[in-house]
Amino acid sequence: MAVSIIDLCVNCFACEPVCPSNAISEAKPHFSVDPKKCTECEGDFPVFQCASICPIEGAILDSFGIAINPPGSLTGIPPEKMAEAMAELQAH
Amino acid sequence: MQLPVLNNTPSPAGHEAKGGCSASSCGTTDNQMDTLPDSIREKVQNHPCYSEDAHHYFARMHVAVAPACNIQCHYCNRKYDCANESRPGVVSELLTPDQAVKKTMAVAATIPQMTVLGIAGPGDPLANPERTFETFRRLSEEAPDIKLCVSTNGLALPDAVEELSKHNIDHVTITINTVDPEIGAKIYPWIFWKNKRIKGVKGAKILIEQQQKGLEMLIAKGILVKVNSVMIPGVNDQHLAEVSRVVKSKGAFLHNVMPLIAEAEHGTFYGVMGQRGPTPDELQDLQDSCSGDMNMMRHCRQCRADAVGLLGEDRGDEFTLDKIEEMDIDYQAAMEKRKVIHQAIQEEMDSKRLEKAVKAEQHKQEPKLTTRPVLMAVATSGQGVINVHFGHAKEFLIYEASPEGVRFISHRKADQYCGGDSTCGDGESVLQLTIRALAGCEAVLCSKVGYEPWEMLEAAGIAPNGEHALEPIEDAVLAVYKEMAAAGKLDDKPEGLRANA
Repeated sequence: MAVSIIDLCVNCFACEPVCPSNAISEAKPHFSVDPKKCTECEGDFPVFQCASICPIEGAILDSFGIAINPPGSLTGIPPEKMAEAMAELQAH
Repeated sequence: MQLPVLNNTPSPAGHEAKGGCSASSCGTTDNQMDTLPDSIREKVQNHPCYSEDAHHYFARMHVAVAPACNIQCHYCNRKYDCANESRPGVVSELLTPDQAVKKTMAVAATIPQMTVLGIAGPGDPLANPERTFETFRRLSEEAPDIKLCVSTNGLALPDAVEELSKHNIDHVTITINTVDPEIGAKIYPWIFWKNKRIKGVKGAKILIEQQQKGLEMLIAKGILVKVNSVMIPGVNDQHLAEVSRVVKSKGAFLHNVMPLIAEAEHGTFYGVMGQRGPTPDELQDLQDSCSGDMNMMRHCRQCRADAVGLLGEDRGDEFTLDKIEEMDIDYQAAMEKRKVIHQAIQEEMDSKRLEKAVKAEQHKQEPKLTTRPVLMAVATSGQGVINVHFGHAKEFLIYEASPEGVRFISHRKADQYCGGDSTCGDGESVLQLTIRALAGCEAVLCSKVGYEPWEMLEAAGIAPNGEHALEPIEDAVLAVYKEMAAAGKLDDKPEGLRANA
């Protein structure tokens, strides 16, 4: 039972101080979670602290490997709108 | 509209400045600060971010020690690492407090004109209290001749006021885009507050309360507060006059309205969703009504969170981590040198300010014209003179000439925010884009203009003028204005021109 941080992480440090178990540390190429220490905040908070402050959609996964903050959930940009804008930029 | 005041004294009658100019801020002088109490003017008159003339002489820098943020704004993309973009919230490399102190001292020794150090991101400085305060603590001790500034979204501000008051902090900038939670929900999708992500109106309400509380606490401590607002057409543009009234009544000494920067390639909500920024006219109208008599921030360049140098330039590449590692800085010696250079700059600025005041006085004695105001664009690389070739200008300064005199209005970029090909999607050339950026101007003053742009400028109704090369800007603008008046060009309003330009 542990969350994980993947390579979408932008190394913003926000998650590190809010972790109640000190399970998150600065690492290369991005922050990492010590699965032995991570408690998924159980007993401390009803929601994942790291994923509640993380600004990057998809950067933190739950123990099933599913993004806690899926595309569009934080920025409010509908994923299809984002795809459309990016395709348009690629075309130029 | 209330004037910027430190207390709640009502604005004097006749000074309800909206649009055009009132006597105290006009004429060919930079007396934009005359309405400020001496104690504040003392602090800001040589600050490159506040003083239109000082920013040609004194430089500033930002150190990117604060990556974390506690809110999301729709004009920000938290993937902040970009070498090419120039906008707030973007950096090339993050620094530890120790690296930031080394970098600051290296820059201060190499660029003695650097007098101001700010922490502005790339996240929120007060959401990184340990890193931000360690940097301030050490700089207050080790480089006492540098002014320190910080900007914040305000969410964590009330908890930080006590600590801020302990350092050599010149002033605090709070970004306040609204005082209405309903509007806030359209700008801030979420905040992180008391161990929860809070979305929508509820989150915006907490943010607004914290901002206002923080503002009041800073004023109570006697710390200078500037308020920044991002103007977002259709979202908060109608509301910012109210924001201005509220923050000034609480004691903010200045309200700076900045245009939204939103491009799809930035990947921000507003950029991707096609939210437009304000036109230069819309921005100027709002800035006029919010700044009152003090157009102190018209030269604001909305710089990166790791910018180094004079406003509008970035010498960050000279001070990358590997380069500062190799520098051996004797700061005591550097401070001596800095002091001498600062005194020399002060003398030069004082003499130029005096010269301008004398000219303004002369202008007042001359018979007053009754012609309409005109906007003119100027190509300059600084020092207050016209000294850049039209084709080489990366930006133009916009001045308004009127019977009252000449006043600086804004700057407009000639090239796009991101580098790239010389043509954009619509097949518009850089030249066409530049000419479009000068919309509303009736003349452009530069050291030289080539044949091709000359014809295109004339076709666009903008008179090219290369006759005032190396002359002081205000003198040249006024001279061109008088020529236009004498030629009868100012008797009628040209089509499409603003009524109150």
